[in-house]
Amino acid sequence: MPSFGRFIRLAIGAWALLLLIAATPTPSMGQQINPTADAVNERQLLQELDRIQGRVSIPDQRSSVLVQPQGREWREFRNVLLRWIGGVAIVGMLAVLVVFYLAVGMVRLESGRSGRTIVRFNTFERFVHWMTATCFIILAVSGLNITFGRPLLLPLIGFEAFSEWSQWAKYAHNYLSFPFTIGVVLIFLMWIGGNIPNKVDVEWTKRGGGLIGHDHPPAYRFNAGQKAIYWIVVIGGGLVAGTGYVLMFPFYGTGIEGMQMAQIVHSIVGVLFIAAMLAHIYIGTIGMEGAFEAMGSGEVDVNWAREHHSLWMDEQTARTGPGDSQPQRRRAASPAE
Amino acid sequence: MLIKRTHQHSLRRGSVADTLAGQASGLDRRSFLRKSGLAGGALAALGTISVGGVRKAEAAAAGPLTAGATVRKSICTHCSVGCTVTAEVLNGVWIGQEPSWDSPINRGSHCAKGASVRELVHSERRLRYPMKLVGGQWTRVSWDTAINEIGDKLQVVREKSGPDSVYWLGSAKMTNEGAYLFRKLGAFWGTNNTDHQARICHSTTVTGVANTWGYGAMTNSYNDIRNAKTQVVLGGNPAEAHPVSLQHLLEGKELQKANFVVIDPRLTRTAAHATEYVRMRPGTDIPVLYGMMWHILQNGWEDKEFIRQRVYGFDDLRKEVEKWNPEEVERVTGIPGEQLKRVAKMFATEKPATLIWAMGQTQKTVGTANVRASCILLLMTGNVGGAGMGANIFRGHDNVQGATDVGLDIVTLPFYYGLAEGAWKHWSRVWEVDYDFLKSRFDSKQIMETPGIPLTRWFEAVTLPKDQVAQKDNVRAVFVQGHASNSITRIPESLNGLKALELLVIADPHPTTWASLAVEAGRKDGVYILPVATQFECKGSRVASNRSLQWGEQIVKPIFESKDDLEIIYLFAKKFGFADKMFKNIKIENNLPEAEDLLREMNRGSWSTGYCGQSPERLKAHMKNQAKFDMLTMRAPKDDPEVGGDYYGLPWPCWGSPEVKHPGTPLLYNTNLHVMDGGGTFRPRFGVEREEKLPDGTTRKVSLLADGSYSKGSGIEDGYPEFTLAVLKKLGWDTELTEAEMATINKINPATPDAVSWSLDLSGGIQRVALAHGCVPYGNGKARMNAFGLPDPIPVHREPIYTPRVDLVAKYPTLPDAKQFRVPNIGFSVQKAAMEKGIAKQFPLILSSGRLVEYEGGGEETRTNPWLAELQQDMFIEINPADAAERGVKDGGWVWVTGAENNSKARMKALVTERVGKGVAWMPFHFGGWLAGKDLRSNYPKGTDPIVLGESANTITTYGYDPATNMQETKVTLCQIAAA
Amino acid sequence: MARMKFLCDADRCIECNACVTACKNEHEVPWGINRRRVVTINDGKPGERSVSMACMHCTDAPCAAVCPVNCFYTTADGVVLHSKDLCIGCGYCFYACPFGAPQYPKVGNFGSRGKMDKCTYCAGGPEADGSKEEYEKYGANRLAEGKLPLCAEMCSTKSLLAGDGEIIASIYKERVLKRGYGSGAWGWKTAYRETIES
Repeated sequence: MPSFGRFIRLAIGAWALLLLIAATPTPSMGQQINPTADAVNERQLLQELDRIQGRVSIPDQRSSVLVQPQGREWREFRNVLLRWIGGVAIVGMLAVLVVFYLAVGMVRLESGRSGRTIVRFNTFERFVHWMTATCFIILAVSGLNITFGRPLLLPLIGFEAFSEWSQWAKYAHNYLSFPFTIGVVLIFLMWIGGNIPNKVDVEWTKRGGGLIGHDHPPAYRFNAGQKAIYWIVVIGGGLVAGTGYVLMFPFYGTGIEGMQMAQIVHSIVGVLFIAAMLAHIYIGTIGMEGAFEAMGSGEVDVNWAREHHSLWMDEQTARTGPGDSQPQRRRAASPAE
Repeated sequence: MLIKRTHQHSLRRGSVADTLAGQASGLDRRSFLRKSGLAGGALAALGTISVGGVRKAEAAAAGPLTAGATVRKSICTHCSVGCTVTAEVLNGVWIGQEPSWDSPINRGSHCAKGASVRELVHSERRLRYPMKLVGGQWTRVSWDTAINEIGDKLQVVREKSGPDSVYWLGSAKMTNEGAYLFRKLGAFWGTNNTDHQARICHSTTVTGVANTWGYGAMTNSYNDIRNAKTQVVLGGNPAEAHPVSLQHLLEGKELQKANFVVIDPRLTRTAAHATEYVRMRPGTDIPVLYGMMWHILQNGWEDKEFIRQRVYGFDDLRKEVEKWNPEEVERVTGIPGEQLKRVAKMFATEKPATLIWAMGQTQKTVGTANVRASCILLLMTGNVGGAGMGANIFRGHDNVQGATDVGLDIVTLPFYYGLAEGAWKHWSRVWEVDYDFLKSRFDSKQIMETPGIPLTRWFEAVTLPKDQVAQKDNVRAVFVQGHASNSITRIPESLNGLKALELLVIADPHPTTWASLAVEAGRKDGVYILPVATQFECKGSRVASNRSLQWGEQIVKPIFESKDDLEIIYLFAKKFGFADKMFKNIKIENNLPEAEDLLREMNRGSWSTGYCGQSPERLKAHMKNQAKFDMLTMRAPKDDPEVGGDYYGLPWPCWGSPEVKHPGTPLLYNTNLHVMDGGGTFRPRFGVEREEKLPDGTTRKVSLLADGSYSKGSGIEDGYPEFTLAVLKKLGWDTELTEAEMATINKINPATPDAVSWSLDLSGGIQRVALAHGCVPYGNGKARMNAFGLPDPIPVHREPIYTPRVDLVAKYPTLPDAKQFRVPNIGFSVQKAAMEKGIAKQFPLILSSGRLVEYEGGGEETRTNPWLAELQQDMFIEINPADAAERGVKDGGWVWVTGAENNSKARMKALVTERVGKGVAWMPFHFGGWLAGKDLRSNYPKGTDPIVLGESANTITTYGYDPATNMQETKVTLCQIAAA
Repeated sequence: MARMKFLCDADRCIECNACVTACKNEHEVPWGINRRRVVTINDGKPGERSVSMACMHCTDAPCAAVCPVNCFYTTADGVVLHSKDLCIGCGYCFYACPFGAPQYPKVGNFGSRGKMDKCTYCAGGPEADGSKEEYEKYGANRLAEGKLPLCAEMCSTKSLLAGDGEIIASIYKERVLKRGYGSGAWGWKTAYRETIES
């Protein structure tokens, strides 16, 4: 394999050399070198490449790019496409949730509360969740401000107030990215064990998570919906964090195109992430009775657990014996199992 | 959308604004910026966000901040183009620069340096007060202490070792008045060891060109190049060295659809605009020129009539040219015959053609011969003495032409009078000082009439055994006022000189590498630094390359404790006790000699060069009336009351006294014009006839006077010798001299008044009469292709001392060793030793050097200017991609460059580029402050170190001196490069 | 009303950087901020051309379009300016700008951007013309004094032209006609969606 890599490099090198030779014809004996007639031409250069780059003596090498018109595409994206994507995703999601709520209402505990609780998330887990969630909300709002603030908020509050708010929002966005990133990493490590997709998820998904009607497809600690949220948070969070840092540290390892790409990824993932989180928030609060407690107090009613996470409940029961009212004391119930 | 001054802003202007309104113009810009800078609008820290509110409430009343400023004009100090700098001054602070639209030379333009000169004056890194090195520490001293201690020490050296043991190194940065006074100080001190940058810039041009046709200066002007149909640049890169000149070159190229040929080892920024680029091997200028001449003669393209009338020695030249057939030229230079033929044809047939050169030709061991060959090409094609023609020699510094003219030199007194007794007597008459007094100041009459030591050899004059330095003793003290040490070759050896000196005085706005290298050499004491004002803080005249004099006003008073050059010279003259004699006719105010009086004194003595007509009043009138001068002809309308008919800056020669109203000479040797309109002839400077040996052993006398050629309206329609009273008598014109004029002439030489010539006649009468008859005072002679008297009367190609072409050395060796200018020149031995040691194998790359547009000279001043320094932050070496690949050198990577002498090495960045051909490397010469990889920043007095430091090119450069001037070799040596 | 534009005649530009230092001088631009720069294409090869580039003051300026806080405005002369009071230093204008014009002083942590700085066409900013505040934030206001940008006024070879678009275009056209060559009005197509036929 190494020899193959070398071969590729050599071939590329030879090709580049060939191009170089073709590009700068070495004049034969006595042939005229007329630098005026050979002058480069902007139109021609722009046809050959999507940007014109030269040499500058100042250390700021990014300034060696003379013209790079692809900023225009990025502008189109930012001002048009992104607003559509973001608008459709977020407003669409809100609409779906409203409609769903109106149609279905809160998913109730069918068997009522048992009065017995079981620990679902311990203090550390809840701390990580809420740290990440708080950061996320501020990041989302400040991020949306960058895309939607100018058409929506600025006309309402005026230039100066809007700039002041945006300035703080920018700082919040930059600084809170760090705890957010740590949160995403911890979430990834903490809950990876319960979030590997398996056969049960197929059944769960087929039955639509039981959202419609009174179905309760079996699920382990995390059902397929929650797993989806988990992966959205891990992958989406990873992407927004990664691309965010590219934007926050300009020109460290990227050029202008890199930053444009980073911004595109950051913003698309961002708005989709927000849409997804709206659903997550819905389910975790007004969408389902008893769900908020999981992250609120950390303890859920046993009946809730039985209805929504029957297999997990079975595991817990098997481990601690039926009738044990305090399974949470048994630290063995680590979700990592 | 926001628009300017919407009411949301204007409404906020409240009472604070009113209180501030009056102050706005009272503060200089810098103090505004100190408070907040552009960062005032930016966020300095998280906590200082202020949107709306306070800041806007402070908005002052509208109106330009420059309101009420005075406009003053001076001349840019960075090259010889002579750009006018227009300064806005408010309350003694230089607050802004404006384009100088009225100047016919720069027409508003500047280069990077000219557009940033304001910073030089305000620089916070300038020297503020005198300092001395005490136990290795820079210590502040008062001016009085400095002058007294230095003066006493110099007197001690003088008593012990004689006046020649003090080396007075002056500057092309000084005004004419400063440079003249510095030379005069040398004369009163009793030495000819007074030199300046011309030695290392165009000394070979001055010598070579003057030996060809009379005066060693640019024949035409930057503006006049617009008239050329063919422009050939050989040995210059004006796009970087003289950027504003390119305005004229490129517009000329465009409007005339002219050929623009650049012959150079590098595809320079100038070459990028050429219509034909010719790549040559460095150090082969003479073969290139002979190669062109070979084609010209072969095809009969030479100007036969011009040669017959105005040229001497053509047959001797032909013999040398015939040796340079296309095969040999290609073998030596690498230029294919066809290409050179094409260029030769253009030059000879698409006329007018001009040849442009700068240090590419001059800074060579064959510098004098190079420029001679260039002149010969011009003569052969009849391209001298008319619009669009000529030798357009681009000088380096703003006043290097002037400083040369006023004799800040080792071989002559002011205005090229030489050092013979007659010259000394002439100047003692002008200075109204006893000749015997001047003689008494010297060690001997003989040494008084012997050229001094060239600055290129100063450290050898210190370190060589005493018997090898042809004066009473070695040099023991160096007084340098405005000259970089890193501009001089062989830096590692100069350290020995720095260490051995008893006293080093550095008078400059910046400490320069003299200071950092002196500390590096191990000096703990015996070094003084005196803060000198920049030229923008001094008034006086400067001479641009085209010989135009321009009067610069004082823009601001000297900053900090710095002093005008003139004042420093006066203070030392006073200390030495001869101030009264030296400043006999000069008004002194607060120790400052008046520049105008100095110029008047020069006017009274400078008949030889025609500096006699440029009175301060006329020069000031020119600056005031700049807009009236035509851009192309540089002439003002004849009916103008103040400057009517004058050429801009009264380019010398400007004959006669100011009252004669000679307009100046924009194009030298132009026979198409009347001498009173700036016409002229070649100067018969080398006798009227010459005895030539014929092959049969007999001799014949050949006239050196022009044959049937004369300037328009000449009273003598043929060649004629220089005017003396005897000549006037012969012509019967002596009767036109006034009584007063005759009286002066009789006083000059009571024994034989007939011998008094146009250049010695202090009355100006002889010139006046000659001009009245349409004759040029210096005569009408032939230009010399054969410059008998020079080491190579007909230019001969000689390989550089260090050449990669060892195969050519046997055929084209350098000249034998000889003693020149009081020191030995052992170039031949060095070349021989290099051959024997196989240096070319160890150091296979040719190393050349040159200018960057952002910096000038040794660069300390420009590298201190943040606006310039930001643009070039690293010393680098250009290397061809093929050479780089062989050595594993990457673009932008660090390399070690090693040189052929002294085990020299230097660390810098590589710039891998096809700009240089294979086998050639190139370095800019402006860097300093590093030595052999070591950063010497701590050697500078605190806070005065330039922003950018780097290795000096001259750490690597090697032995090699032109035999006629001891010009150093900076353009061709050998080196090796390795990735660091 | 005039429509101000820049035009760099690359066949005249010799990379002398006068435009760069004139800008620094006129506005006391600090180290590291390059409102104007000269880029050399094909450096060291036949065909080498240098182009002086700064904010081109585009028609339908991308920077203004993408600015989240709408801090840009176009003057009656067609000069694109911005308010540093409103700017939040987000860097978006830099992503959109085809010419790399926006500059950011490095402030605070993480190399984060301060308020954007760019060529003002020597026309200051929103503050009163010629006021101290305007100078502090944006530099000199030459346009208000009836002067053109100093970079162009001081250009060594009259390569960089500034002034009304139609006038400088006609100067350029005349030059090309006269000399018979021209490498194009660099950036015009991108900035103004117009080309000068050569």
